Amino acid sequence: MEKSPSFDEGTVARFVERAEAVATKVTRVADGAAAEKLAAEMLAAEGSEHVGVVRVAKGIADTGTCVVVTDDEETRLKTMLPETTVFILKAEDIVPHLADIAPFLRSRQADGRVSYTSFISGPSRTADIERVSAIGVHGPLAVHVILQEG
Amino acid sequence: MPHESPRSARAYHRQIEEALNDSFQRRTLDKFAVEYRASRDKVFEEVDGRELIRRIADVKDAAAQHIEELYAQFKTEAEKRGVVVHRAADAAEAREIIAKIAAENGVKSIVKSKCMTSEEIGLNAHLRAQGLDVCETDLGEWIIQLRNEGPSHMVLPAIHLSRQQVAEDFERVTGEKQDREDVQRLVKVARRELRPKFEAADMGISGANFCIAETGSIAIVTNEGNGRLVNTLPRVHVALTGLDKLVPKIDDALTALQVLPRNATSQRLTSYVTFIDGAGPCAKSPTGRKMLHIVLLDNGRTKAAKDPLFSQVFRCVRCGACANVCPVFRLVGGHRMGHVYIGAIGLVLTYLFHDRQIAKTLCQNCIGCGSCKDICSGGIDLPALIQEIRARFGREDGSPLPAKLASLAMKNRKLFHTLLRFANFSHRPFAGSDGFVRHLPMVLFGKQGFKSLPSLAKKPFRDMWPELQKGAGQDAGKPKLKIALFAGCAQDFAYPQQLVAAMKVFAAAGVEVSFPMEQTCCGLPLTMLGESKTAADVARQNVAAFAGEYDAIVTLCASCASHLKHGYARLLGDDAAAAAFSAKVMDFSSFVHDKLGLDSAVVAHGNEKVAYHASCHLCRELGVKEAPRALIRQVAEYVPSAEEESCCGFGGTFSAKFPEISAELMRKKLAHVTESGAKRLVLDCPGCAMQLKGGADKLGLDLKVTHISELLADNLRDAK
Repeated sequence: MEKSPSFDEGTVARFVERAEAVATKVTRVADGAAAEKLAAEMLAAEGSEHVGVVRVAKGIADTGTCVVVTDDEETRLKTMLPETTVFILKAEDIVPHLADIAPFLRSRQADGRVSYTSFISGPSRTADIERVSAIGVHGPLAVHVILQEG
Repeated sequence: MPHESPRSARAYHRQIEEALNDSFQRRTLDKFAVEYRASRDKVFEEVDGRELIRRIADVKDAAAQHIEELYAQFKTEAEKRGVVVHRAADAAEAREIIAKIAAENGVKSIVKSKCMTSEEIGLNAHLRAQGLDVCETDLGEWIIQLRNEGPSHMVLPAIHLSRQQVAEDFERVTGEKQDREDVQRLVKVARRELRPKFEAADMGISGANFCIAETGSIAIVTNEGNGRLVNTLPRVHVALTGLDKLVPKIDDALTALQVLPRNATSQRLTSYVTFIDGAGPCAKSPTGRKMLHIVLLDNGRTKAAKDPLFSQVFRCVRCGACANVCPVFRLVGGHRMGHVYIGAIGLVLTYLFHDRQIAKTLCQNCIGCGSCKDICSGGIDLPALIQEIRARFGREDGSPLPAKLASLAMKNRKLFHTLLRFANFSHRPFAGSDGFVRHLPMVLFGKQGFKSLPSLAKKPFRDMWPELQKGAGQDAGKPKLKIALFAGCAQDFAYPQQLVAAMKVFAAAGVEVSFPMEQTCCGLPLTMLGESKTAADVARQNVAAFAGEYDAIVTLCASCASHLKHGYARLLGDDAAAAAFSAKVMDFSSFVHDKLGLDSAVVAHGNEKVAYHASCHLCRELGVKEAPRALIRQVAEYVPSAEEESCCGFGGTFSAKFPEISAELMRKKLAHVTESGAKRLVLDCPGCAMQLKGGADKLGLDLKVTHISELLADNLRDAK
């Protein structure tokens, strides 16, 4: 008998659509091993100077956002300095709406906790010259999300 | 130092003239205005924008009332997490605090991410005077820093510059030849040039979009990625922001985040939203922890919070949308539509935070079209705030002579109407047979000569009334509805034919009409001139004049309608008679379409191609959009034209104060109508009629401009 998925396909499909709308590339894989394998290949192809691989805590479907725990500087810099960021996100961790992320944020900030949480929706961008959209200003030029279904 | 802000009307007009001649900026802002509307509408389709805006307003209004509690809670929570929280009473104190932090930490170089509050306090100049190296890293801010200019937009600070100008600046700073066309390449120059600055900096200065009291955290909203580098790489981070950014809960920030990016840049969310809670680990810091300072600026904010009207400024999330939709901004650009903060909110904040003389000059340049209020992330009634600033200047500095004279004359209806009759008599020798003033040399009009001016009618409507009354409605048996007609000065004395046409429609449809003779000017011009006391006197006269039993009080003037309906409550407060009066007021199109209904036995469908101009007061203040278009479709071929809801440029006294701007808006409107192929343009407001009729005549267009009442009257089946 087939196991029922632990995520809502409608929510995941919306995440994919909205993430792609902000120039994020999404690849769906079956499980954790497949995700690790793909990430390792991407890292090996370009080298760690050019690719940062980071696990994502939560996804937000409505905005195609990856919510990343970046308390330590090293993780944070991996999402800032290299030209490419590779995120690994579990489909079951995607919440439908922006407002739904409040409990997660609160759990990270309550009781005197020190934290740095990054919401990342696509590569860095600007429209500061003649309102022409340009991708990759100070941050990454490309964002890949490896979406792990199992 | 940023651009020079005007301290006198004369200096301001000179600057406006220059801005109007800046063809690059004009093209850019024209394109922006149109594209912004379309992309913004699209990204709001998937959320309940009005509801979100209402929630932002509620949260921020409450925050303004509890500012001290929120500040105390925020400070306690942030300090629990190793942050130093400072409070600065004014700009000078904020500058000192930040300079002291730099000195105490042996800081030499500083990188900054976008922070309007730092522009507000003139921070960069102060830090440079201390010998510090300060570098803006937001692309637009970096560009204007290289040019030694201030931002011309709160979100797009360099929108006034062309790629060629940017390329020249980059050539100067890099000493290398740059591609003058390829924007993508120019963006890469910023990446390459600024990376080493981030690495070398001792201190990062950012703003903060939200300060969340429950956890002492700040949220920063950015797109370029420079903000995260600024608050990560250097060992010291100073976040400078206003006390108005305090909100109680995480959820409040998440609510506002559903509107701010959508309104600012038509994004569902910006590329980055960063929540920083406390001083985290930092490799470069001697203590191993980030030295994080949060500076909360007052600079007039707590005073504003106590003001029942101006406390609304706490709702501002700095999205910049009020500039994006402002017809005046579109023509003159941000350097002429603000001091530090830009757009409608910029005019208000100049008054609250900065220079009164500059505010006094700038605040004249609001046409009152209501586009900003309609789009504001926090639903701030920006035109009302700007109007109130004018009124305060009127009270504090004494009214200018024209406002005083108007006030004096309008207080007494008989005197006012006598003056209007005298004006009619005195200019009669110059009136042409076609309703325009024809026989005065144009040199006498100066800049006002962009449109033909109407001559006053030989006989005002009120003098025609005894004659009209005999045939009006009452002869056709029991009337369907009983109404009272509010004429308004412009129709009573300049365009009585619009009212006469309405009378024909009413008669054909079985409406009994009364015309209370004691009615006078609605008072809107007085409010606009800042004469609020006389405006209230006039309002009371009208409420008394219309005390009878009517199904509706109908006016053909959208501006009068919006003032009678919404303005009187502001002027008269909780007055039951005034509330009953206002509740009955209807604009002509809504009354005829929604309440009366014209069936095909009354009107016929002609083949005339008719365009529509949506008057500001009708489509935004009263929210009436469908009724007039439905009426046009009923009797003619409705031809849509571009930007139907944009202002015609009249704006009451505005067209006399800023004829150069008024003329441009009028030409744009008429160009759109001409392109539509329409032969007639209809509207719901005699003010717009004055502007567009006069403009069409002056430009020699083959275009008939009439009130919608005249279109209906022309298509009555039984034109008696």
